[in-house]
Amino acid sequence: MTPEEQVSKLLRLKRYEMPPPGYFEDFLQEFQARQRAELIRRPLWEITWDRLVSLAPNFQVPRMVYATIVAMAVAASSLIVFRPSAPVPGGAIASNPPAPLNLTSPQSVTIGESAPVAMTSTGSPSVHYVLPTRPVSYASSRSF
Amino acid sequence: METPETPDQELVARTQAGDARAFDELVTRFSPRLYGLIYNMTSNHEDTNDLLQEVFSKAYRSIKGFQGKSSIYTWLHSIAVNMAINFLKKRNRRMTMSLDDVDNGIANDPDFIEATTARDPRHQANLGELQKKLNEAMMKLSDEHRAVVTMFDIQGMPHAEIAKVLKTSEGTVRSRLFYAHRQLQNYLQEFITT
Repeated sequence: MTPEEQVSKLLRLKRYEMPPPGYFEDFLQEFQARQRAELIRRPLWEITWDRLVSLAPNFQVPRMVYATIVAMAVAASSLIVFRPSAPVPGGAIASNPPAPLNLTSPQSVTIGESAPVAMTSTGSPSVHYVLPTRPVSYASSRSF
Repeated sequence: METPETPDQELVARTQAGDARAFDELVTRFSPRLYGLIYNMTSNHEDTNDLLQEVFSKAYRSIKGFQGKSSIYTWLHSIAVNMAINFLKKRNRRMTMSLDDVDNGIANDPDFIEATTARDPRHQANLGELQKKLNEAMMKLSDEHRAVVTMFDIQGMPHAEIAKVLKTSEGTVRSRLFYAHRQLQNYLQEFITT
């Protein structure tokens, strides 16, 4: 018999090292008591979570959900921290070349006897009208 | 007539559905083997008892995540080996052994008789002495080597099963066994005939 086989045979003798009789019966009782004690000591959030899970037994948290939540939180916080400065109002307009000034009246809109009196610098038709063009009275107003 | 044993898978499924009694049956079924595994890794009865309790507590807490890719036996062994190795790393190498709980059957074991009543008077030893030497030799091994020796030589697990438990290759298991046996030969020289 080789020395290695002899070592194996000696080691097999350790199978006889057993706990005292009745140990495993006591072990189960001890385990059950410990489980009950652990249940009492459990934090509230764990109990709540378990109850939620038991309401939907087929629900399982997807494997990547925690990583996704963390990634989203990091992305959101970095956006807040490194947010680019707010654009100056009109900045975009200023950077564009100014539209050529057109002195001709754009499309005129006439309502009754009214006439356009103003327009925006871009020539958009948002204009003010004076209605009507004929003064109501030339007499000075007395009302203050 | 003896009732047929409920299959492990059924007990696992019942436990996963919330049947605590099914888990109790798993505890009863696997505690002797897991006890042997942990005891031979720690060489201490009290430590073994505490660790075994923790192993089953952890298994109960995480059994819903057990998907049945391996047998419940392999899964429980993995938990036990990992917990025992972590425990041993924390424990400051104290050599406290409880060697008084040996089954009487050993006295009739031919290997024991051969080892203790050898032709050479130097080999003669009593049971206590042999056990002391065996335990001392085991405790001189690294935790990983001791785990492999325990599962292979003492528990009789095949290489492939040990590899699954340790999440390593069969080659690594064989290599660890080879070096562990070589070390043990040196420690147990007085019981080995050349």
